[in-house]
Amino acid sequence: MPDKPDFSNVKGGGSSTAPSPPTQAGSAPAAPAPRTYTVVAGDSLSKIAKKFYGDANDWKRIFEANKDLIKNPDLIRPGQKLKIPE
Amino acid sequence: MCRAVRDVALCALGLFLVLSAGCSKPEEKTAPAPAGAPGAPAAMPFQVKRIDLGNAIGASKDVAVPTSSFKPSDTIYASIVSDGSAPTVVLSARWTYQDGQVVNESQQSIAPKGPATTEFHIAKPDGWPKGKYQVAIAANGMPAGTKEFTVVD
Repeated sequence: MPDKPDFSNVKGGGSSTAPSPPTQAGSAPAAPAPRTYTVVAGDSLSKIAKKFYGDANDWKRIFEANKDLIKNPDLIRPGQKLKIPE
Repeated sequence: MCRAVRDVALCALGLFLVLSAGCSKPEEKTAPAPAGAPGAPAAMPFQVKRIDLGNAIGASKDVAVPTSSFKPSDTIYASIVSDGSAPTVVLSARWTYQDGQVVNESQQSIAPKGPATTEFHIAKPDGWPKGKYQVAIAANGMPAGTKEFTVVD
């Protein structure tokens, strides 16, 4: 019997031309928690991009979001906490 | 004689006109009917008019080329065309595979004020398994339509 397909890495979302409902008075809109990733030995930006976006070529997105941490995109260090943009 | 009768009639007519003008009610201005009052055009309730599937959407969230057949590498979009107004509508999309597995579930809260298009999309970085899929759209928890599609090589 064949294995069940794995859909755990499916990314979904949506958007609309209609306006969003107003937020309730007194409650501040919740800011989305920024995604972070802690570099481990053997990582590269391409590898991390592949992990999060499914495409190693998206490494520039991570590089652009972490220019304060990364000066050379070929050199990242274990323990660095990188912001992973959506 | 005739002339006297005619003069009296004319005087009576003139007097009637003067009196009736003085006694007439001031002109009434009709106020516009308030919204929601009988006779005012009622706001159309929210309704889903169409669901299109495709592998790309435009700025207006419309699927450019509707299709029900996709490649494993495609991002799959469901574009929900709706009309009507409501303070809040929660649109949800539930994507399932042929074996019943839930592939993804997403929600969008909107406050529609007329025609609108809402899109949901799913992507799988390592490619979609071939087979049959379905997306079920609901509005405020009530089924609003389903679409089936296939992924082929």
